[in-house]
Amino acid sequence: MGKALRIYQHPIIEVSIPAEKEYVKFLFEDKVIQATVEDTIASALIANGFDIFGLTEHNHPRGFFCAIGKCSACLVEVDGIPNVRACITPVREGMNVRKQAGRGKPVW
Amino acid sequence: MVGKAIDHVRVLVVGAGPAGLTGALAIAETLGKGSDVLIVDEGIEPGGQLPKQTHKFFGHEGFFASVRGFEIGKKLVKRVMDLGVIMKLQTTVTGIYEDGIVLYDRSKNIVEHLQADYILLATGATEKFIAFKNNTLPGVYGAGAVQTLMNQYKVLPGRSFLIVGAGNIGLIVAYQLIQAGATVKAIVEGSSKIGGYMVHANKVKRLGVPILLNHTIIEAIGEERVEGAVVAQVEKNFKPIYGTEKEFVVDVICLAVGLQPNVDLAAQAGVKIIYVPELGGYVPFRDGNMKTNIDNVYIAGDLSSIEEATTAMIEGYIAGYNIAQKLSGKDVSEKIEKMKRELIEFRKGPFSQKVRSGLERFGIYFPSGGYREQLQIDTGPKGKLRAIIECPQAIPCNPCETSCPSGAINVGDNINGIPHIDYNKCTGCGICVIKCPGLAIFLVQEKEDYSLVGIPYELLPIPEKGQHVNLLDKEGKIVGKGMVENIILNKKDRTHIVYLRVPTGLENVVRSFSFIEHFKEFICRCEEITKDDIEKLIELGIMDYEEIRRMLRIGMGPCGGKTCRNLTLQIISEKTGIPISEIELGAFRPPTVPLPFEAILNYHNSKNKKE
Repeated sequence: MGKALRIYQHPIIEVSIPAEKEYVKFLFEDKVIQATVEDTIASALIANGFDIFGLTEHNHPRGFFCAIGKCSACLVEVDGIPNVRACITPVREGMNVRKQAGRGKPVW
Repeated sequence: MVGKAIDHVRVLVVGAGPAGLTGALAIAETLGKGSDVLIVDEGIEPGGQLPKQTHKFFGHEGFFASVRGFEIGKKLVKRVMDLGVIMKLQTTVTGIYEDGIVLYDRSKNIVEHLQADYILLATGATEKFIAFKNNTLPGVYGAGAVQTLMNQYKVLPGRSFLIVGAGNIGLIVAYQLIQAGATVKAIVEGSSKIGGYMVHANKVKRLGVPILLNHTIIEAIGEERVEGAVVAQVEKNFKPIYGTEKEFVVDVICLAVGLQPNVDLAAQAGVKIIYVPELGGYVPFRDGNMKTNIDNVYIAGDLSSIEEATTAMIEGYIAGYNIAQKLSGKDVSEKIEKMKRELIEFRKGPFSQKVRSGLERFGIYFPSGGYREQLQIDTGPKGKLRAIIECPQAIPCNPCETSCPSGAINVGDNINGIPHIDYNKCTGCGICVIKCPGLAIFLVQEKEDYSLVGIPYELLPIPEKGQHVNLLDKEGKIVGKGMVENIILNKKDRTHIVYLRVPTGLENVVRSFSFIEHFKEFICRCEEITKDDIEKLIELGIMDYEEIRRMLRIGMGPCGGKTCRNLTLQIISEKTGIPISEIELGAFRPPTVPLPFEAILNYHNSKNKKE
């Protein structure tokens, strides 16, 4: 597990405290993940300590790298659809996210 | 089908960062019809990299100098939206074909096809990646990615960080990480000098972050995620030197090793792509009006050359006005010329040397020089509260000059000039301290028995008046203890000034402070009484061992004072200056060890038996 944490106080930017936040829940590998409504899949996973988003074709753990949808390191499977970029996909209540291995299982 | 698809636009702007936004602004303003412009951006939020920038920008007021990046983003987006420009977010231009442009809207999961009379490409850049052992381990993140997580999504991906690269991005990320509450163990830089602005480097150095020059990362440690990093010294050819390896325990390795322009769409549009390393690698061909070799395709921002946000904005305006002029037939050449003059002024300095020489490849010549290079030696009249500017490099920035209410500061004829201050005019008001984007201006005053140093402060917690603090020098080393004399809170833009009382002679040494950590040093193990507890009582005038024992229960636990009595007497002696031999030792009361009641009972029982 990573040692990530949410920022609840900051000298410059406005941050809201946990009680003021609006939350949604989704599944990651069958575990319930609590996310704020502003989260992307990537920010929610990292905030909850999950840095490993999947495996490469050669079974190496894979996380994210660029956070702006360029590097494709963060590909996950969402509701059975592979190759979703976790870093630029907002979270949605009830979505089912799974680790992706390599290019993902064909859906056909 | 969701809504009516647009099948033709007069101008398509790709990218809603600073260049794309000012481009759209120039076009919409000239045409008087924002809806002729469509901006498409992949991101969830518009503004490109601006929303993740929490520092104040350099430059001049005309381009938001001294305003924080995320605020600039909001202002530009508002202006663009007010003009009625159409913006599509979460939408990627996936291809520019001979017969049209294809967009993919992720939020609706639909592809659209459209034609455009003009295209302005402001696609920005991608972070570079470097090769080292285990470099794909989760926890090796790009600098921009770390900024996105912490400043946009308010998630810190770890507690302790190693930063690779001491360019402006690496230095800024280090500072932003400390602001968010993280620890930066070190910044490693392969070359022999810091690539970014000295003022950015100074901000992190005085907070105690080491910058290791001629060092690079050679390995990420960890099985499933980063648990550490190995760095090594490098030779001139950047090869690691065997035996110089050092290990850092970190959660995240943050790569700030440069950017490369996103040229794919330009190439698809038929633009010549040329390798110009000074501009960032492969870049599209373009002229001084930002027009490419394709008549209706323009570029701006990091796509054209890796630079910074101000020049991106100016290039956006130049491209935008040129497109608008062609589309409308209106003559806006004056506005174009004005922007070109701005660009010339900005690019005269030493930090633009690479861009200037890169652009020569395209037959575009920018003049250099004409800015003041000499530093001010005069530090002003002793005893007067006054500003001290520590901005030793020629960088394009002048808010100190434009914000000074008494006109005491000037950077000379060119914006890159080194600021000088007229001490006859400086009143020590501190406005320049708050405005300076480099946090490079301090206030000093020599008083009779101490000196005052005013420091710009953008961290948490805010110290309290009267609080004792460690005084740090420019390298972040503790040089003594001082006291917070006053704090000027700046609720609006959150650069506060902390006035420190420092020993005479340290007024030009102290540039930062840290909080004194109170460690618990236990004296009495049984009752958990600390040295601090005892010292506080002594400070109140209670100096007698018996009295301290009664008040704190020190020596009244199961050990009966065997461990703590001598230590307590030593503390009394140290604090009061009374020799230990002259301090009342106090009574030694029985029992010397805890005695069970059962033992006493047994004694009586055995006594009774005998009788």
